Order: sequence, then structure tokens, then C-alpha cells
Amino acid sequence: MKLINYIMLIACAGLLGGCAAKVPTELANARQAYQRASAGPAAQLVPAELHKAQEALNRAEGSFKYDPKSYQTKDLAYVAERKAIMAEALASVASEKGSAAQANKEYQATQGEIMKRTEEDLARTQTEKSEAATAAAADKLAVEQQARLDAEKRATEAATAAGEGKLATEQQARLESERRAADAAAAAAADKLAVEQQARLDSDKRAADATAAATAAEKLSVEQQGRRDAEKQLADAQAALAKVAVVKEEPRGLVITLSGSVVFASNKATLLPEAQSRLSQVAETLMSTNKNRKLVVEGHTDSQGSAAFNMELSQRRAEAVRSYLISRGYPAELIEARGIGKVRPIADNASSEGRANNRRVEIIVER
Amino acid sequence: MRHVSKIGIMVFAVAVVAAAIATGCKSAPLRTESATSGIRAAEEVGASKIPSASVYLQLAKEELEHARVLAAKGKKDEAASMLTRAEADAELAVTLSHEQTEKTEAGKAIERARQLRKDNQLPMERSNP
Repeated sequence: MKLINYIMLIACAGLLGGCAAKVPTELANARQAYQRASAGPAAQLVPAELHKAQEALNRAEGSFKYDPKSYQTKDLAYVAERKAIMAEALASVASEKGSAAQANKEYQATQGEIMKRTEEDLARTQTEKSEAATAAAADKLAVEQQARLDAEKRATEAATAAGEGKLATEQQARLESERRAADAAAAAAADKLAVEQQARLDSDKRAADATAAATAAEKLSVEQQGRRDAEKQLADAQAALAKVAVVKEEPRGLVITLSGSVVFASNKATLLPEAQSRLSQVAETLMSTNKNRKLVVEGHTDSQGSAAFNMELSQRRAEAVRSYLISRGYPAELIEARGIGKVRPIADNASSEGRANNRRVEIIVER
Repeated sequence: MRHVSKIGIMVFAVAVVAAAIATGCKSAPLRTESATSGIRAAEEVGASKIPSASVYLQLAKEELEHARVLAAKGKKDEAASMLTRAEADAELAVTLSHEQTEKTEAGKAIERARQLRKDNQLPMERSNP
């Protein structure tokens, strides 16, 4: 009985060993390859190829179940592995094609971008050229217009200068007419202005005349008053002088005559004290009334003695009087001393009285 | 006797026909066109110059040769099965050749787009639409 159980155990082990057959290398590789392929991009990019690999693997699996060690199982597994690898390769091909397509798309987009930029540059360049051409045309037109205007101006000038050309003549006539009208208007305006100015001037002149007349009247009045005062002062002065000397109006001026016997000692040129007193009074009178007038002091002698002696004596006496007047404050530059000698007597030298009158000093106050 | 003769003739005929069919099947040539054309296609796409593909091209050639040897030994079924390996490897060699070509073309396209942007002084990174 134990022997029978042992035999059955061995038989079961043998059956189990036979059921758990060893997987061929080809099938293991196929399974691994398919698992790798199905986990990669092939499932999305090339599902049909992946499906073919799966079918091949199924056939290998089926053969493996039927006859694990047969060459058919190994060959089917081998083919299934190649199908899985091929699915991966085809997925890679699809991916590379996608990359190439994307690159080509970017290339075309870049070309479009470049084209657009080129067109913009071209448009800008054309715009600039157009603007430059427009500016050049404007300049040219301006030059032409200027030339035409110059030509017209020259033609007009030529026509005017030659007296030819109806238009120029009319223009000239119109210009002349306008100029005349303008001149007439200007003349009228000037006349009006002149009249107004004249009226204003007349008015001003009348006012000025009235003012001047008033001023002149006032001045005249003042002058008359001054003259009256001066005359009164002069009369007073002459009256005062008349007390100390003989005063007489002559063509050569006011002549103040001092008797020589009173002024000088005989044959002397020294002033006597009485003469100094009189001369002081004369000087004060002249200072007060005729300070700005020129004085001529003349010395005269009688006929006794030589002419040269009398001339020299009369000169010294005139100088003595001049010096005294200067000492009293009369301006020296206004006093001239002259020695006349005996040549201009005013009385007969035959008598002593006459000779006494001839010995004299005359102070002529020039007008 | 006559009846036995007819049955015997019929059995003989059937046997002759069966023998003839069996002989014909045994002597049918190996169909290597598919494998051969696959190998030729791989060679035409330059698989021999592409490292990743040249291995499978070489395997296909060896498997084709192995199939012929098996066929010569009378192992027709085993030879035919071996041909499926050769066909699969030849087809894979073609596919890997195409993959390499596509990689090269994609690289050229990317470089061309990059160079175009560089030559025209444009930003190198483009925003995806």
C-alpha cells in the first residue's frame, strides 16, 4: 500500500513538472519587448502596429500553451519580439516626423515673419522715398514758380521800360493813378494837417505873443523903472560930482574936470590932501554909477616950460590920478592915463587965472 | 473474382493518387520570395550602413540561409517557420533605417529653422501658439 502511494506521488510530481514547462528565451524577450513598447509612445502614435505586435505575441503564447518546446513557439515568439521592436521604431519615426513638421512649421512662420518685416521695411522705405520725391517735386515746383514769377517780373519791367505792352501800360497807368490819388490824398492830409498845425501854431503864437507882450511890457516897465532909477542915480551922482569938480557932457563922454591947482602943487605930480578927498568922492560916485565904463584920465598943463617937460609932467599927474582911483577900487584895466601937455588949453595962458584953469586933470567917462 | 478485382483496382488507384500527392508535397520548393524581397528592400534603404539596422539585416540573411538548409534537409515546415524570422528581421531593418533617416531629417529641419532665425536676428525661442 505504501508503495502504491509513493508511486502516485511521483506521478503527480511528474505531471506538475510537465505542466510548469520552461518559457523559451524568445518568448520571454517577446513579452518584455511588448511590455516596453506598450508603455512607450507607440500606444498613442502607432496603435495599429502595437496591436499587430500584441497579436503576434498572442499567437506565440497560444503555441507555447500547446507545445512549449516546439520550434513554432520559438519562431512565433521571435517574430512577436520583432513586431514589438518595430512598433517602437515606428513610434520613433512618427515622433521624428512630428518634430520635423514642427520645425518646418516654425521655419515657415519665421519666413512669414521675415516677409512681414521686409514688407514693412519696404513700405517704410517707399514712404520715405515718396516723401522725398514729394519734397523734391515741391522744391522743383517752387523753383519753377519762382522762375516764372521772375520771368513775368522781367517781362513786366521790360514792357514798362520800353513803354510797350498794354498790360504793363495799364498797370503803370493804374499805378500812376493810384500814386496820384495817394499823393493827392497825402497832400490833402498834409494840407489839413498843415492847416491844423498852422492853426495850432497861430494859437500858440498868439498865446506866446500875448505872453511875450506881457513879459515885454513887464520888462519894459522894469527897464523904464530901472532907467528912471539910473537916471536919478546918475543925476544924483552928477550933482554930487558937481560939488567937487566941474562936470560936463561932451561928445567924447562925461568929462569931470579937476583944477590942477587944487590937485597938484606947482611942477609936482603928487596929489594934495584936498585932491585926495575930492578924488575919493569922485571915485565913489564912479564906482556906484559907472564902474563898468572905461575911464580916460588926461593930464593938462599951462604953456609955461618946455613941451616935453609939460608932456612928461602931465603924464605923471594922469598916472597919479589913475593910481589913486585904482587904489579906491576902480578896475585898473578900465582906466587909461594920458599926458596931453600944454597943447589943449581951455583958457588964455597970458593971465595967471587962465593958466590956473589950464593946469587940470580931466576924467572922461566914455559912453 | 471479378468483383474483387474492381475493388482492388480502386484501392490501387487511390493509393497511387495519394502517393503521388504525398510525393508532390514533399518535393514543393521553399517560398523564399517574401524574405528575399525584404532583405533587398533593407539593402536598398542603406540598412547595411546604419548600425542599428545592419544587425537585423545580417540576421535576416543568416535566417534565410538557415531556412534553405532546413529545406534541403527535408524539414520543410521548420524551414518555412525560419523564413518568418528572416522576414521579420528584414522588415525591422527597413523600419530602423527609416527611423534613422527621419531623425536626420528632423535634425536638419530644426537646425534650418534655428539658423533662419539667427541669420535674421530674431529671438531663438518662439512661443507656442
